[in-house]
Amino acid sequence: MKSRIIGSAFAAALIIFAGYAALYIAPVDMRQGQIYRIFFFHLAAWVSTFTALTIVFVSNISYLATRRQRWDSLGVAAAEVGVACCTIGLITGPLWAKPVWGIWWTWDARLTTTFLMWLLYVSYLMLRGLMEDPRRRATLSAVFGIFAFLDVPLVYMSNRLFPTQHPQPVFFGGPNSGVDPTMAKVIVLCMIAVLVIMIPVLIDRYKVEGMRAEVEELRQEVELRTSQPAGTHLDAPARTVNVKEVL
Amino acid sequence: MSTARAAAILLGKELRLEFRTRELLNATVVFAIVVVVLFSFAFNPTPDESRHYGPGLLWIAFLFSGSLMLHPSFARERSNDTLDALRMAPVSGFAILLGKMLANFIFLSLAEVVLVPVFAVLYDVSLAGIVGRLVLVLVLGSIGIIVTGTVFSAISAHARMRELLLPLLMLPILAPLLIAAVEATSALFSRRPYLDQTWAAFLAGFDIVFLTASWLLCDFLMEE
Amino acid sequence: MKDFQFLFSAWIAVWAVFFVYEVTVARRLSKLRGEIDRLKQQLREG
Repeated sequence: MKSRIIGSAFAAALIIFAGYAALYIAPVDMRQGQIYRIFFFHLAAWVSTFTALTIVFVSNISYLATRRQRWDSLGVAAAEVGVACCTIGLITGPLWAKPVWGIWWTWDARLTTTFLMWLLYVSYLMLRGLMEDPRRRATLSAVFGIFAFLDVPLVYMSNRLFPTQHPQPVFFGGPNSGVDPTMAKVIVLCMIAVLVIMIPVLIDRYKVEGMRAEVEELRQEVELRTSQPAGTHLDAPARTVNVKEVL
Repeated sequence: MSTARAAAILLGKELRLEFRTRELLNATVVFAIVVVVLFSFAFNPTPDESRHYGPGLLWIAFLFSGSLMLHPSFARERSNDTLDALRMAPVSGFAILLGKMLANFIFLSLAEVVLVPVFAVLYDVSLAGIVGRLVLVLVLGSIGIIVTGTVFSAISAHARMRELLLPLLMLPILAPLLIAAVEATSALFSRRPYLDQTWAAFLAGFDIVFLTASWLLCDFLMEE
Repeated sequence: MKDFQFLFSAWIAVWAVFFVYEVTVARRLSKLRGEIDRLKQQLREG
C-alpha cells in the first residue's frame, strides 16, 4: 500500500513536470508558434500505442505457444491500453493539423495506418466480447491479433505510394533533421511520463482479466453446490448473474 | 492422405452442397448487382466519372459480397454440427481450410464473372484488350479476400452476432488489398491501359503473407 | 495567443481520455472484487 502511494506521488510529479516542461520550458517553434506543443503528447501517445500493440502481438504468439492464461490477459490488457493511447493520438492529431495544415484530416500513410490500426484493435476487443468460452476466445482472438499485426505494415506500405503531408520523422532522421536539444529532452520526458501512467493502468487491466476468471470459477462452484444436494432443483432455473452486467 | 487430395475431396463436397441449391451464389450475385446499381445513383456515370470511381465501386461490391458470402462457410458447419465430423476426419487442419478457400474462391470468381460485364455495360467501360490483365488483378485480389475471409469466418462462427462480426473483422484487414486492387484496376481502365506491376506485386505479396499465416495458424482454428 | 483553443482542447482531450479509461478500469476492478467477496461468502454459507 505504502509503495503504491509513493509510486502514485512519483507518477503525479513526473506528469506535472512533463506537462510544465512541454508548455513552458521547451522553446517556441520557429514556424508554428505555440501550437506545436501538442506534438509532445501526440508523439508520446503514438510511442505508447506502438509499444502496447507490440506487447499484444508478443502475447498472442506466446499464448498460442504456451497456452498460459496470463498471456491472454496481458494481450487484452495491452490491446485496450493501446486503443486508448491510439485514441489520444487520433484526437490530438486533427487538433494540431487544423491550425498548421488548414485541414482536420488527410489520407496520408501514417494517418490512415493509425486509423486502421485503431479499427483493427477495436474489432479485436469486440471479438473478445462476443465469445463466451474462455479458452476458445483466447485462441481465436490470438489468431486474429496476429493477422491484425501483420496487416499494419501492409497498410502503411499501400499508403506510402501516395504523396504525403505528414512530416518525416524529426528524430533519428539524420544530421539535418535536428530539433532543439531542449525540445529533444522534453519529448523524451513526455514519453517517459506517458509510459509511466500507462503501465499501472495496464497492470490494473491485467488484474481485471485474472479476477474475471476467478469470478467465473467461483460461480461455477456455487452453482455446483446449490444444484448437488437436492438434485430435484435441477430443472429450476439456476440463479445466474448476467456476466456483462457485473463486468 | 495428402493435404492436396483431402482438400480436393472437401472442395468437391462444398461444390456439391452449393450447386444443389445455388442459394449462396444467387444471393451473392444479386447483392453485388444491387450495390453496383445503387452506386450509379450516388454519382453521375459519365465515361470520365466511371473511369474515376468505377474501380473503387467494383471492388467495394466484391468486398461486401465476399463478406456476406463467406459467413455461411463455417457457420453452416457449426449449426449442422458437421464441424466436429470434419475435425475427426484423418486430414490436416490446413486441408479443411484449403478446401473451403478453394470453394469460396470459385464462388467469388463466378460472381465476378457475372458482375464485371454488367458493370462494363452499365458504366460504359470498355473491356476490349484488357481482359487477360484484368483477370490477373481479379484473381490476385480475390485470393486475398478469400484467404483472410475464410479464416475469419472460422473465427466468427464461434461468436455471438456472427453475421455482423465477420465484415467487422474482415473489412479493415482488407484495406491495403482494396487500395492496391483499386489502383491496379484504375490503371487498366485508364485511356492508355497498362498493368501496374507495383500494385500487382503488392497484391501477390498480400496473398502470400496471409496464406502463410493461415497455414501456420490453421491448427488453432480447427481445434475443439 | 494564436490557436490557443486548439492547444487547450488537445490538452483536455489527452487527460479526458486517460482519466475516463482509468476510472472504467478502476470501477471494473472494484466491482469484480465485490463479486468475488460475495461469491466466497455464498460458498462459506452454502
